[in-house]
Amino acid sequence: MRSTAALTFAAALSAASLGFSAGTHAQDAYVIGVTAAMTGPAAGTQAPVIEMLRIYVDRLNVKGGINGHRINLLVEDDQAEPSKAAANATKLFRQENVMLVIDSSLSSTYGPVIAEARRAKVPLLFAGAICPKESHPPKPDPVLFCSTGFDFGYDIPVAIDAIKDAAKEPVKIAMIGMPIPISRIGIEMAQKQAEKLGMTTVDTEFIPPTAADYTPFATKIKEGEPNWGFAYSPWQTEVRTFEALRRLGWGGTYLCYGHIQAEEELKRIADGGFNVFSANALFQDNLPVQQEMRQAAADGKYSYPVSYADEGWITGRAIEQILTKTGWPADADKIAEAMSHLDLDTQGLRGGPLVWTAENHFRTKQYYRFYRYDPEQKSIVRVRDWLAVDVVN
Amino acid sequence: MSLQLLANVIVLAAIYALVGSGYVLIYRVSRVLNLAHGELMMVGAYLLVALAGLFPLNPPLALALAATCGLLMGIAVYAVLMRWMTGEAVLAAVLITIALGILLRGLTILIWTTQQFYPGASFGWRNPPVHLARGVQISSASAALVCLTAVVYLGLLVFLRFTRWGVRMRAAGQNPLLAEQRGIRLHGVYALAWGLSTFTAALAGMLLSLDAGVDLNMATIGLKAFPAALVGGLDSLPGAALGALIVAAAEIAAIQYVDPLLSDVVPFIVLLVILAIRPWGLFGSREQLDRV
Repeated sequence: MRSTAALTFAAALSAASLGFSAGTHAQDAYVIGVTAAMTGPAAGTQAPVIEMLRIYVDRLNVKGGINGHRINLLVEDDQAEPSKAAANATKLFRQENVMLVIDSSLSSTYGPVIAEARRAKVPLLFAGAICPKESHPPKPDPVLFCSTGFDFGYDIPVAIDAIKDAAKEPVKIAMIGMPIPISRIGIEMAQKQAEKLGMTTVDTEFIPPTAADYTPFATKIKEGEPNWGFAYSPWQTEVRTFEALRRLGWGGTYLCYGHIQAEEELKRIADGGFNVFSANALFQDNLPVQQEMRQAAADGKYSYPVSYADEGWITGRAIEQILTKTGWPADADKIAEAMSHLDLDTQGLRGGPLVWTAENHFRTKQYYRFYRYDPEQKSIVRVRDWLAVDVVN
Repeated sequence: MSLQLLANVIVLAAIYALVGSGYVLIYRVSRVLNLAHGELMMVGAYLLVALAGLFPLNPPLALALAATCGLLMGIAVYAVLMRWMTGEAVLAAVLITIALGILLRGLTILIWTTQQFYPGASFGWRNPPVHLARGVQISSASAALVCLTAVVYLGLLVFLRFTRWGVRMRAAGQNPLLAEQRGIRLHGVYALAWGLSTFTAALAGMLLSLDAGVDLNMATIGLKAFPAALVGGLDSLPGAALGALIVAAAEIAAIQYVDPLLSDVVPFIVLLVILAIRPWGLFGSREQLDRV
């Protein structure tokens, strides 16, 4: 069976974090730790990232590794729980003596992992999970880096501006989020941005992820008679609220962030009023790199649709470039130094390169595309091509 | 309260009632609190995912097979796991169900990963809205769930009151020692109770997955239905239905008039209030509580 699935099975059975390695845990390998939500409520978004990263690293190892040395990936499941993330951080930084740690989980788990990374002075890379503010310019934390596509500080203004541009009549907007920190902050920012642009926020709902039925929330939203809906939260809340609104007969237009599930879901929902914006390209582009990803996913028995693989693949490529630059022998300091000079060609998976400098561990430009399903063409169409946003100091 | 709100209350109550009936069936017969009920419901939904993939052109067959698998899964759980807990402390049996829940979550990830699935999409079914009155709509899956809940409750009440096996189940629940002395095979009765309980859970899981898809978070809905069963009284099916209605009404009122964030805690607030006033639940048996 699939190794990642087997790992998560074992993790769930024991209700404790377990590790697996992509090779022997030896001193002559690049040792990279991962703490990620492989199970638990966020696993649907985070586990596919780490599984594709694992496939990417396995491919590198099959080819002889980097600079003649294998990459040893140690994956720990935090189940999106801060206490488990803390235990993982202790294990990875203090016992395993890793050179780099990758974090792919909910922001609520970041605190103890960041604290351990700072103490150990080992770089910490956030992948497919929200970028902490401390990775942003002009004075990023020396050990914190981020390759994730989305970032609420840039996502929200772009999205609300796009609604303003697209609206043909005064905008009455409903805001939808989940009661988790990043979604709350994003929605509060969206409210302010909407107000600044002359829109009327008619309702704001933070919907618990444990809701058995989204119709009661949709009923309340619909009563405000919005002509637009904007959601910024994990995918399940974004899409289930929209579908509940449609079943109640709501006819407005909806915009939400396009998480890794977006491409599959746009086709399933097939509704012309359902718009997503995303920092990653969709697989319908069929770029050369996407063809390579398809092959890698098939060879590595990727458990998810290949359209879920962008974040994991980009992280894998970033690690490949970083370790190549680091050379051998490697240590955390050398890796952090190489990370501070990253210039990664995303090969069309994003609108431009992923660039890190000593003053910027996030990126120099952020890119967005907007998509929706066109019922007449029966396919996903680009509403707006790559929109570049300067990352300000 | 508008008619739409009333419709929302009925749908949510039906979800809790259908799930809650499973808690009651097992508790009533064997005094075991099945804390893996939410996971069993989730597995029922995933079974439909698998069967929808196998029979995309024949939804009734896929649904019937998934429900049957749910029934057999319950019997298998009893035969393989719970049978050996007969005669042991109730707490030990409850702990076994917790372990079972963890095991089922792990197996689900192993087989279906953490991805969200939509069995309705495999059937090409769009879950259209059903217009109940002017401006009052619910989804087709929700309408089916309400109807099915009514059928299940009616069926269970008739079964328990008028059939031989139903009477045996009641007897085993009231006095297992005497029941066995009278020739009732307790293992058969308990296995049937587990089968029926898992069957109802699977039905709930299947219909919820047809409405909004299924992922690992579905198991938490089982936990939210637990207060409904407790409010009504853990050994009473009518009590579970009434408890579900009370909890659902309180939850919808909180969403609509107070704060949607309260919807998670309201079922437990209702539970605390009821337990403070009537610890054995609205329709529960005081005698049974004393025995515990």
